[in-house]
Amino acid sequence: MTVSNTAWKPAAPPSLTPPPALRADRPAKRGTYQRWRNLVWVLPAVLLLGVFAYLPLVQNLGFSMLKWDIYSGRQTFVGADNYIKMFNDPIFWKSLLNNTLYAGISIVFQVFGALILAAMIEGLRSERWRGILRAVYFVPSAISLTVAGLLFYFIYEPRMGILNAALEFLGLGSFTQAWLGQENTAIFGIIAMSQWQGFGYCTLLFAVALQRIPTELYEAASIDGVGPFRRFFSISLPLVREMSSLMMIVTVSGAFQVFNEVMVMTTGGPNNSSQVLGTWLYRSGFVRNDFGYAAAIATAVFVITLVLAVLQLRLSKRRRIEW
Amino acid sequence: MMRKSTHLITAMVAGAALALTGCADGGSQAAAPLDLSKEPAYSGKLSILTKFGGDPLEPYFEDLAAEYQKMHPDVSFELIQETDQSIKDKTKTLTASQALPDVYFTWAGNWANNFIDGGLAADLTPAIAPGTEWGDKFGESALKAFEKDGKYFAVPLYNNGKFMGYNQRIFKELGLTPPSSFEELVSSCSVLKGAGYEPISFGNKDGWPALHYLQQLFAYEVPAEVLNADFDPASAKLDDKGYLQAMEQFNTLVNECTGSGKDSNGVLYTTAQQALAEGKAGMYYQEVLEFDTTASDESLLKKDGLGIFKLPAAVDAKGDTNAIEGSPEGYIINAKSKNAALAADFMKFATSTQNAAKLSAPPYGQPSSVKGAVSEENSTAPVVEGIKKVNEASDAIIWLDSVTVPAVADAWLAGGEALIAGTQSPEQVLASVRSASSAAK
Repeated sequence: MTVSNTAWKPAAPPSLTPPPALRADRPAKRGTYQRWRNLVWVLPAVLLLGVFAYLPLVQNLGFSMLKWDIYSGRQTFVGADNYIKMFNDPIFWKSLLNNTLYAGISIVFQVFGALILAAMIEGLRSERWRGILRAVYFVPSAISLTVAGLLFYFIYEPRMGILNAALEFLGLGSFTQAWLGQENTAIFGIIAMSQWQGFGYCTLLFAVALQRIPTELYEAASIDGVGPFRRFFSISLPLVREMSSLMMIVTVSGAFQVFNEVMVMTTGGPNNSSQVLGTWLYRSGFVRNDFGYAAAIATAVFVITLVLAVLQLRLSKRRRIEW
Repeated sequence: MMRKSTHLITAMVAGAALALTGCADGGSQAAAPLDLSKEPAYSGKLSILTKFGGDPLEPYFEDLAAEYQKMHPDVSFELIQETDQSIKDKTKTLTASQALPDVYFTWAGNWANNFIDGGLAADLTPAIAPGTEWGDKFGESALKAFEKDGKYFAVPLYNNGKFMGYNQRIFKELGLTPPSSFEELVSSCSVLKGAGYEPISFGNKDGWPALHYLQQLFAYEVPAEVLNADFDPASAKLDDKGYLQAMEQFNTLVNECTGSGKDSNGVLYTTAQQALAEGKAGMYYQEVLEFDTTASDESLLKKDGLGIFKLPAAVDAKGDTNAIEGSPEGYIINAKSKNAALAADFMKFATSTQNAAKLSAPPYGQPSSVKGAVSEENSTAPVVEGIKKVNEASDAIIWLDSVTVPAVADAWLAGGEALIAGTQSPEQVLASVRSASSAAK
């Protein structure tokens, strides 16, 4: 068997032959050629991303400046009218408030709550129990949002739902009500379902992050007589900061893009009390036939989530800890 | 201060955005009349968007398509079957993406007018106007529901109307008779409550059941010409006291007659329907289209007997007390369809005497608009009685959520929910509807 020592060189695709000035046998130009070749390799991905992610964004921006009659196809340029209308729309602000409420409560439960629970689970000595609890908490995340929404709709149902039945059984009949049928409880009913559904997934991710922390750190702390609370705040919490930041971004962005559960459980009612930006966008377009205005709301959602993501990324970069 | 390059990028993005949306002002023209003088080429695929999704209606169009295919083997079908709730979104999605099928479902009123004005509805006047062979098969009022400027734009498939359905056994046991006034209706509620029944089952999770009550009460309390003018934002004043009177009556009905009361926004309309079907409720306000579902063969109501009466008007009502809420529902032939002639031929087949009778009979129970299709031989007694009452009514009032523009309908919908929850007074609801109407001018 003969082994060739010749270094392997990838053959340039026929259609991508570089111009003479960039030939690989000219060392001075090799870097340029390399960059040019790399660009060709990433071009398909860039094109796909451009066509399916950025082009719709730009198109949406255009739609938001139009009054669009879907029946006749007539599109009239109205400039910033849809944005002015949006800023004067009380339901838009109500929706934004509901999304913010969603984000706030999700941070408490799905970031802080999930981290504490993950730490408690990982602190257990029995590997078997750790596995069982991880699975138990993860199960709701495997259920689709639509199914979970329907399930909770029937739990909350005022006359047949098990929540009111349980309250009656416990002698708390005065607390029974139409959880999704009252303006002051509808959004909280939906948020509660959402926490139940997402909590286990976040717990599992934090559990993975905690498992990556070297055990030597905990052992050293134990030798120094450090208690579990101190270990959590001085070792676990700083070393899962990256995961916390990621969870924060995912949770907050998710809270501003929420749609399915609201649609299934209340469709934004009663009297628009549980409307969120996603459902108000949908209702403006598909119920009220105001697609230009719906596009303006979509732009607002994009700007909000982009700003939040950039802010959180910057904050998390500043506080990154290496070990 | 922004740098020059930032200004330039911003300007470029805005320019590109507008260029990419293809901002155009090319409105559609009204569709030219459909030429049905030539026989269609019996080949190709016919796409149909129906409102017959789910049980028990889904097989109706499937069977029609199969039978039509037997006669014309080169014709194939694409059936898009949606439910009453989902068809609204589906239709608008297909409209916005310019992908409407050859034949599609429509309600009467503003809903249909949008398609007519947008040039998306074929002008069927030469084929279906009163006086034509096909047109004379239908009741004239059914055809008129889809008439605009003297032209006819849809095939009315079935009629509909809203009635209070009641359990005849329960009424008989308690010595009750169908009430002749709103006041009587309310007093019968206390009798039913006393006997342990839910007087009127009501579920408003979707919002529209409240609108159905409100629209019928508006017809009773607001003079007809005022009401009709108020449906159109261009002429709407929405200042008649009858609206407030009707909303007060609705509040009374919710609080004194329904078991769910202020909780009704959290109850599904199917749950309410079930309460009557299972003999737990004395009454349930329903459409003719629902009669055979509510009193299905398996239900206790079938045994007890389903009776119907018009929602009674108050003694001092100032509107048209003989009007009834309801309107035919129909199918539009897409003006841009390449198969328009074939689509018309299929709809003629769908409205043949035999198929109209089949539609009007259980399990479908959709009272066909074809004359004579609803009869004691074909249909159940409540359906026959319901359609008779619809035909006798002085006027058919179209559903509130399809007769007016969507923004106003949506304001009424939110208002209905607020009335039930007790978070807004009738005056506040009317003010918010007025504001939506003036914004929609």
